[in-house]
Amino acid sequence: MKILIIEDEVPLLQTIEEFLKSENYLIESAMDYHSALDKVMNYQYDCILLDIMLPGGSGLDILKKLKSEHKKQPVIILSAKDSVEDKVLGLEIGADDYLAKPFHLAELLARVKSIIRRNAQDGEQFIKYKNVTLNPDSRQVSVDGNNISLNRKEFDLFYYFMLRPNKLMEKTTLVESVWGDNSDQADNLDFIYSQIKNIRKKLKEAKADMDIQAVYGVGYKLI
Amino acid sequence: MAVSIKYYTNRFLAITILIIMAVWASLFYAFLMDEVYDNIDDGLKNQKLEIIREAYNNPEIIESNKDYGFNNFKILPSKPQEDIDKNHFSRELMYMPYDDEDEPYRILKTGFYSKDRVAYTLLIRTSTVEEDDYLINLAIALVVLYLVIVLSILTINYFGMSRGWKPFQLILQNLSNYRFGHTKSFEPIPTKVKEFQELNQQINKMINSNEAVFQEQKRFLENASHELQTPLAITIGKLDLVLQEGNLPEDQTIKIAEAKQSLHRMVALNKSLLMLSRIENNQYTHTEPVSFNEIILQKLAELEDIVQFKEIDVKVVQNGIYLSQFNAELAQILISNLLRNAIKYNKENGSIHIEISENEIDISNGSHAGALNPEYIFQRFHKENQDSQSNGLGLSIVQTILEKFPNNIIQYEYRNNEQHFKIKKLK
Repeated sequence: MKILIIEDEVPLLQTIEEFLKSENYLIESAMDYHSALDKVMNYQYDCILLDIMLPGGSGLDILKKLKSEHKKQPVIILSAKDSVEDKVLGLEIGADDYLAKPFHLAELLARVKSIIRRNAQDGEQFIKYKNVTLNPDSRQVSVDGNNISLNRKEFDLFYYFMLRPNKLMEKTTLVESVWGDNSDQADNLDFIYSQIKNIRKKLKEAKADMDIQAVYGVGYKLI
Repeated sequence: MAVSIKYYTNRFLAITILIIMAVWASLFYAFLMDEVYDNIDDGLKNQKLEIIREAYNNPEIIESNKDYGFNNFKILPSKPQEDIDKNHFSRELMYMPYDDEDEPYRILKTGFYSKDRVAYTLLIRTSTVEEDDYLINLAIALVVLYLVIVLSILTINYFGMSRGWKPFQLILQNLSNYRFGHTKSFEPIPTKVKEFQELNQQINKMINSNEAVFQEQKRFLENASHELQTPLAITIGKLDLVLQEGNLPEDQTIKIAEAKQSLHRMVALNKSLLMLSRIENNQYTHTEPVSFNEIILQKLAELEDIVQFKEIDVKVVQNGIYLSQFNAELAQILISNLLRNAIKYNKENGSIHIEISENEIDISNGSHAGALNPEYIFQRFHKENQDSQSNGLGLSIVQTILEKFPNNIIQYEYRNNEQHFKIKKLK
């Protein structure tokens, strides 16, 4: 899986690069408009992470060029400009997703995976870990072929865990990814706690070979 | 005490005119008096000549005029020390039978030598009643003239001033209508008066430069918030990477997670500030008829899980559709903020009651907190009880949104242990 990161802030670029490499992706990067344009026009990527404000031009123009050349490249816009117009415009021009800076790396990974999955012609439609299968489209989870019922938020949470088994998922990341809001955390942390308790119970009842473990009170890990 | 400029100048005018008129009147009066008495005196001197001539030709008149009679003169033997060559004028009050009282007379006292060289004193009198009346009338005329002049000047001044200062009044009125952030709300008044034209210009200049500073400040806030996003993204990302490596001891992991949490509060704050400045910079201009009923139901559905988790009883009563020309996204933020507040500051096993009618939305929640101070709750960064989980911007975003749609207002009320937030339509 090859991902192109178009981003002019070196430390941010390095961070994303390091993170995605650790998730076993091949990474290429471009730091200005022209080299970015050069790469997207000549190579095919599984996902492109595109910053809008670039030296030499706008990321939106790269999108427009892609569209006018009828080149199909899955693109996620990464923007510091969290404005609605940009978002709408970006999606209209043909971006697949829009992620406002700053973001959680886990959130980024979730979006990347979902884009890759959607664009894969013959790719794996299910996420599997041990004896559990998760279908993101039908929002179903099954253990050894038997469906277990999770409510909306429980499913969203479990989806995050399934994307990155054995990795620490911080509580705050979970709150934001599932909740989409970061202002009143105290209530939501309790809420997450109770949701995870429910998921654990349901996994255990279905005899799944996995459990969600609390890590130092900082977050959880699916093992 | 402040007085209108119309009356302020009147005081000076009345006093100045009074002084000028008084000086002028006394000079005029003195001059006229002098002229009048000069006339009378000339008449008396003429009479003297005629009498002396007559006394030469007809010496018996000396004897027959020992007292004032109808001739109005008398001739008396001169006393030795008297200087008979000089004319001496005096005024005296004498009885006048016609008026039956004493009246002023002008008297010429002089002397002459008769044919036989005897010295006589000659006294000639003439009544000055007419002349005195004339002077009195003159004085009255002057007073009347003074009053008329002062009154007319004051009247002219009043109307002239009213007319002349009218543009000023209008400028003042326009200034009071002017709202900060709305450059168009001050309109210069067309006027031919140079000073007012300058005033217009200066006010316009001042407003424009103030607005420019204000705009710059708003832009600054927006740019600063934007510029913060990338360093925040980098810091959070790096900390994320450290945590992902997963080989740190527990205490360090906790510290890094806590640092990340604080950073996320900063992100939230930054987003709220960005939201505020975007609203203020009019980046949500598109409006459409928005049904708040739909938005409330939609937001409640989104919040359903946490509402259930907190065991809050939500009741929605729809007596009508609250429809308003609004920006759809801002309407969502507005309702979302109010509902989140109602959830967050609810009491244990509390309730949220929402009543919607055509002209009012009343969102209330049970609370033990007591009444909040309505003067502060909509202010930025105002927090009740040092609430560390709040950034104090939620309600100020609500307020800022509603300022952009002035047909809708928000009211806060504390009643029966319930916090009420009401959105109302202005008629």
